Amino acid sequence: MGGIDSKDIHKIIVACDAGMGSSVMLASQLRKQLKETGVTVEHTPVNSIPDDADVVLCHAGLAARARAAAPGKVLVSFQIFLGDPAVTRLVNTIKSGGTVDA
Amino acid sequence: MREDLLDPRAILLHESAADRTEAIRRCGQALVDVGAVAEPYVEAMLERERTISTYVGEGVAIPHGTAAAKEIVKHDAICVVRFPEGVDWDGERVTLCVGIAARNDGHVPLLAALADILLDPERARTLREATEVHQVIKELT
Repeated sequence: MGGIDSKDIHKIIVACDAGMGSSVMLASQLRKQLKETGVTVEHTPVNSIPDDADVVLCHAGLAARARAAAPGKVLVSFQIFLGDPAVTRLVNTIKSGGTVDA
Repeated sequence: MREDLLDPRAILLHESAADRTEAIRRCGQALVDVGAVAEPYVEAMLERERTISTYVGEGVAIPHGTAAAKEIVKHDAICVVRFPEGVDWDGERVTLCVGIAARNDGHVPLLAALADILLDPERARTLREATEVHQVIKELT
């Protein structure tokens, strides 16, 4: 599966093991950074990623589980919860246009 | 904010722990003591930690339970436990733990505030070095 054009990104899901800790923190930061773009950011446990998610963000250690739980979704994985370059790149792409690779 | 979300009795600023497991047990016990979770939640916190470290940067970790353990959370709550001597956290040095118990989203504003603090090294240091309960409450709420 290919990437997704930034124009087609409406909902980002931050997936976590329990959906109560680090994903909550990251989602709150993203929501703030993407406020003016109209993109929705939600956090969920990795096993309940909703169908209408356009991009799934998760820790690299959970990427395999996220891929299995939400096949076909564009997945961006990160290593650090705050300030990860992959997340910064995603925000910049959404703001200035471009493609987010799967 | 609900008053029982950040109970002053769950803010412990002069603790010590030999290792990460002991530190997480201390956090879990703090949540048990304020009636936020049942005892087995502590094991769930350790289990969750084994999956992926809850280290979030700036010397801070946010241990919490698994998705399955949400069942045994009585009410959303956080605890703040400081280990001035530091704890080895899988190669990182942690001096402050923000332990989380959540079955709903009551704790979300508090974690959002924590994220803001951690992205500002100066504020992160203030929180890490706080020695009074009221300072911690002021920073987080």
